[in-house]
Amino acid sequence: MSEGRMITVKLFGMTKSLADNQASLTLALGKHQSVKNVVELVNKRYPKIGELIYKKKILVSVNQEIAHEDTKVQDGDEIALLPPFAGGSLEGGVA
Amino acid sequence: MSTAEQNDLLVRVQRENFSVDAEINRVRSRSKRIGGISIFLGTARDHSKGRDVDSITFEHYEGMAQRKLREIRERALKDFDILELLIVHRHGEIAIGENIVLIIAGAEHRAEAFRACKWAIDELKQITPIWKLEHTPSGEVWVEEHP
Repeated sequence: MSEGRMITVKLFGMTKSLADNQASLTLALGKHQSVKNVVELVNKRYPKIGELIYKKKILVSVNQEIAHEDTKVQDGDEIALLPPFAGGSLEGGVA
Repeated sequence: MSTAEQNDLLVRVQRENFSVDAEINRVRSRSKRIGGISIFLGTARDHSKGRDVDSITFEHYEGMAQRKLREIRERALKDFDILELLIVHRHGEIAIGENIVLIIAGAEHRAEAFRACKWAIDELKQITPIWKLEHTPSGEVWVEEHP
């Protein structure tokens, strides 16, 4: 991973429970990557979370906006996994 | 107080309880044209989906939650014929019967105040990153944990 960098992914609600109660994950990500690559890394480590992302039950946000799988991830971006909100169904799309 | 500071008071996510009267007065003081104020107050109930609930903990995404609530206020002010809209949501552990969320819409006439108030709480529930952990006699459950 000579060209790699570490990114932090914030976890909330049940995603924390599914990730051994960690508040965030640190992942090694290469250059020129997108949300899709982030999700692949999460899925490798926590397949249950990965499955829920693929099922669109958990959304991915980048810089506090809902992202899609082709959203680019750059240095310093704030990434988070958002499980279903307390109020019910989720807004549209996703990774 | 600057406009930005006033706007910050009109959209808040906070741990402590709020006074409904004080918040109504905050909205009322925004315009003398207000003639109708509509309120939605969400409180913690002791039962959910067939389970007893002892208390509820709300978790929010700091920054994004406030941003979504500001967005809701701005859209309500633009799309409805209202003069002010206030949103306060609590986080942390909340006992049964306590306040959770407050929406207050102030308008010249009641119809738009009711409409904006209903739209705002429905929208809040759809787009605001806030999660609910119910403490029940048989353990803790994140609401929608079993999608």
